[in-house]
Amino acid sequence: METSREDIGIAIRSAFLSKGTQQKFSLLALILLSIVLLFVETIEIKPLNYLRSFLKDSIYRGSIAVSLPSKALKSVMFTVENHMNIYKQNIELRKNNALLKEKIYDPSFLILENEQLRKLLVDQETSSNNMISSRVMIDKKSPYLNSFVINGGRNKKIKNGMIALDGKYFVGRIVDVNFFSSRVLLITDLNSRIPVVIEPKGYHAIMAGNGTPNPILEYLPKNHNIKAGNKVFTSGKEGIFSPGIPIGKIKMVSEQIFLSLFSDINQITFININLENIKKQKK
Amino acid sequence: MASLFKRIKLKLLNLIPLFLLFFIALDGSSVIDFKFFSINIHFILVYFWVLKQPRTLGYGYIFISGIITDVVFGLPIGVSALTLLIIAAIATYVRLVSVNISLVTDWISFIPALIIANLIYFISLFFLNYSVDYLYLLKNSVFTFISYPVLWLFFNALISLGMGKLHA
Repeated sequence: METSREDIGIAIRSAFLSKGTQQKFSLLALILLSIVLLFVETIEIKPLNYLRSFLKDSIYRGSIAVSLPSKALKSVMFTVENHMNIYKQNIELRKNNALLKEKIYDPSFLILENEQLRKLLVDQETSSNNMISSRVMIDKKSPYLNSFVINGGRNKKIKNGMIALDGKYFVGRIVDVNFFSSRVLLITDLNSRIPVVIEPKGYHAIMAGNGTPNPILEYLPKNHNIKAGNKVFTSGKEGIFSPGIPIGKIKMVSEQIFLSLFSDINQITFININLENIKKQKK
Repeated sequence: MASLFKRIKLKLLNLIPLFLLFFIALDGSSVIDFKFFSINIHFILVYFWVLKQPRTLGYGYIFISGIITDVVFGLPIGVSALTLLIIAAIATYVRLVSVNISLVTDWISFIPALIIANLIYFISLFFLNYSVDYLYLLKNSVFTFISYPVLWLFFNALISLGMGKLHA
């Protein structure tokens, strides 16, 4: 019995400590280094941030070069798929067109919506000068983090927490800024929580990402009267984001409330970043 | 001359695992998601080659590929490196204590490797305040385990092409 225990001990020691043939580092040393790096990740000091930025920028450039073939393949597959679906899309578009035509002749709905939006936009000044556009460099979504990397960083005055828009639709916020690149955390990510308002009644809620293209709404009032198709905007509560930015509309799936985003997150090529700080707007 | 070509061919064959390791890390395809399937190729690649031919994948390379994966996926730097090294450690241990290596023994010993690696992954992300989809993690582990034999056969075919003869 003792011998077998000794054998296990020797095997573990040998696995972790010995470098083995043609190995330059022992496993234990590298495991400890990984743990140290994880701790370092929580430390925010300038030299470390610069080092991180440099490392990330370099890896992103390498990643773009390496992922060129897979991107090309994806693009070909998307084109083929699009061609296959043209007939189906045509029928759907005809249906949508008929619906939209009906809505155009419903002025009461538009008046109400206009009033609500005006209220939301009272303290918001929008200026096209405060927006910059950046190209999406890497859109490899990790299973645990729905995000992508854009080709603008401190060089374009991007800062953490800034809003990322696809056209005029809210899609995420900046969570990591390097010299020449930044990471946008998408609203579909598990870590994303955004205060929103649901029109036309003006219910407040928190939109929470769930890893799927359809986020959920949390902290809704008990007796709400939310219906499919109601529009959802940022509420601007807590002063983190500007109010009134369109996000999506309500989608009901077996009485459960989800959000159908206005923007197709898988098809974004350019992102608009609002460089204006919300605190400045209020002043 | 023929011997030189053969040597170059063997050298190139031996570089395939290393090339794959860095390609999937930089391309961000270490985890492949189909509709319901989700497979962690990185885990299988590291486990297989450390178990079968440790000379082809150095621990240092595994560590660097983990760091690259973390940066590409936007995870805290060190998480993937740590989990891949844990996979490598278990593979090394299994290699040291095993006499006969077959698909079945490899496959079964891959279970604790997956469980421990994912546990460490989960703990690291939990302490760094990252939300984790437990169901996804479970699904990913199950499908990675199921798909192990397919990649095992593929990698074994590579070995039978002549890999390892260079070191012999």
